[in-house]
Amino acid sequence: MNLFTSSIIMTLLMLTMPIILTSASTHKNKSYPQYVKTTVSYAFMISTIPMVMFLYSGQEVIISNWHWMTIQTLKLTLSFKLDYFSVIFMPVALFVTWSIMEFSIWYMHTDLNINHFFKYLLMFLITMMILVTANNLLQLFIGWEGVGIMSFLLIGWWYGRADANTAALQAVLYNRIGDVGFIMAMAWFLLNTNAWDFQQIFAIEHENLNIPLAGLLLAATGKSAQFGLHPWLPSAMEGPTPVSALLHSSTMVVAGVFLLIRFYPLMEHNKTIQTATLCLGAMTTLFTAACALTQNDIKKIIAFSTSSQLGLMIVTIGINQPHLAFLHICTHAFFKAMLFMCSGSIIHSLNDEQDIRKMGGLFKALPLTTTALIIGVLALTGMPFLTGFYSKDLIIETANTSYTNAWALLTTLVATSMTAAYSTRIVFFVLLGQPRFNPVIIINENNPLLINSIKRLLLGSIFAGYLIFHNITPTTIPQMTMPYYLKMMALAVTMLGFILALELNSTTQTLKLDYPQNPFKFSIQLGYFPIIIHRLLPMMSLSMSQKMASMLLDMTWLENVLPKSISYFQMKSSITVSNQKGLIKLYFLSFMITLILSFFVLNFHE
Amino acid sequence: MPVVYVNIFLAFIVSLVGLLIYRSHLMSSLLCLEGMMLSLFVMLTVTVLNNHFTLANMAPIILLVFAACEAALGLSLLVMVSNTYGTDYVQNLNLLQC
Repeated sequence: MNLFTSSIIMTLLMLTMPIILTSASTHKNKSYPQYVKTTVSYAFMISTIPMVMFLYSGQEVIISNWHWMTIQTLKLTLSFKLDYFSVIFMPVALFVTWSIMEFSIWYMHTDLNINHFFKYLLMFLITMMILVTANNLLQLFIGWEGVGIMSFLLIGWWYGRADANTAALQAVLYNRIGDVGFIMAMAWFLLNTNAWDFQQIFAIEHENLNIPLAGLLLAATGKSAQFGLHPWLPSAMEGPTPVSALLHSSTMVVAGVFLLIRFYPLMEHNKTIQTATLCLGAMTTLFTAACALTQNDIKKIIAFSTSSQLGLMIVTIGINQPHLAFLHICTHAFFKAMLFMCSGSIIHSLNDEQDIRKMGGLFKALPLTTTALIIGVLALTGMPFLTGFYSKDLIIETANTSYTNAWALLTTLVATSMTAAYSTRIVFFVLLGQPRFNPVIIINENNPLLINSIKRLLLGSIFAGYLIFHNITPTTIPQMTMPYYLKMMALAVTMLGFILALELNSTTQTLKLDYPQNPFKFSIQLGYFPIIIHRLLPMMSLSMSQKMASMLLDMTWLENVLPKSISYFQMKSSITVSNQKGLIKLYFLSFMITLILSFFVLNFHE
Repeated sequence: MPVVYVNIFLAFIVSLVGLLIYRSHLMSSLLCLEGMMLSLFVMLTVTVLNNHFTLANMAPIILLVFAACEAALGLSLLVMVSNTYGTDYVQNLNLLQC
């Protein structure tokens, strides 16, 4: 029992060590990246102790440390909730982060600010841990905002590039819109339950929970890039590849899903919010999978894949299976991070080339990366008995056999086949065929840092699903009996996607490039969503204000209405009316003569 | 009739004749207009003060205000003519409209 709490506290404190030691200027040391990497690896090893203890005994722990303040009747403390979700997520996240840090030592080794980069990565990890282990909404919000800020700083790492700054700003703005929902939920809970602690919120029986749950759904939409607040995730690929691997595939974007999972006791009984979640997730997964079909940047395809899998997790929450969604979070982290690392290896080898139309023939040139990419793709699409199968196939089976919205189910299945399609596209364009890149490149993946990190995640992608699934406590009983065709459904649509994509790609490779048709244009311009929301609205408001200020106020009211119109009217009327000849002296003289004449006539008469 | 009224009336007549009979410059008739206004002002003030029309003490000031407005109007017309022709010779204002 003691070992549980002390090892958790030690894990969390160890992670903060390299940041606290900044005052001792260890961060100017040349081997600071290795120090950070070893710290994270030790933290991972220590955090497996609580996980094993929890899996053996099922004991949950709440550590309530420090009483910060009491605001009238609200007590704010520093408390950590170590239940099923956080105790299993912590080792997974630390393992993935360890591999990514080792990878980024290789990837960023020509960068002069590599120590700074590692400090940012570590700060992100700490805030993520705060988010995951939080027991009250305030601490969760601290972690929430922390990961948002670190995402901003890391996306804009190469701040000299205008696109990177735009992408970072986009990330912050879209997250902020989600934060509005979060704060609304916090305010509702404060007003109605007088607590921000999970135990108290779950213990009270509420009447109508629509408002706070809708707020939490909005927060998840913002943070996890669901439809409506999704454009920041593909734009976030402007950051370095380790950032994309850590933040935008495994850890940060699952924070929104994690929040919804945390609140599952409240969502269990609210059908409205469940339906809303289901439809939102189905919409997201279909839309982003459709957009991923025609992208040409390898990182963007994987980003859209992340978005699609997040939609799948939200669908799982919508059918009232939070534990399955959590399982998918843990398994997804492995193969998605590995996919990003493989793409990073390819990009660096091809001298920073990211366009898949200029890659090809890397099958024999980068053997380990090729292997990892193919296994990652297979795990993503749910190949039986790899990692993704244990979570993804279960999700599709449960969705098929539950009493749910038929449209959402259909869209999820279509999106699953599209997953297979764009994965085949990646493999086809990057690995197969003849090379399409510049010939003068040194293709070398022979660095132990790169190889070890990819190998570790590769082993995770193959075995982690089996290991996790067979050791966790079963929470909801999966449906055991179902018709033949429903059981085979996921596999069948995936196979369909694979075969279709392979067929289309290989037969159209030698055809002439045709003018793009409407569905193609819809897909490659991301459904016109960024164009409309980012460009049309500001353009309309700016042009309206310009017209109002210059045309309406200046020209019309101040210039034209009184002065110019009066002078114009007078001139026109005087020209039409007057028939004078301008002999002024004569007219004045006649005036004079009339005056004198009248004077004489009126005065001197008899 | 007291002599002072006759004096001022004569000044008015002289200015009036100057307004109606002039050689070439439009400016001279405007100046005579000002002279007419001045004589009217003096006559009004003397009448009001001598007969103790206390309530009419405002009248000269109001007269001044309106005279200023009409002087401005006359000057603006002069400026418009001068803008078009460069001088204010009266013979410019003939049949050639512009």
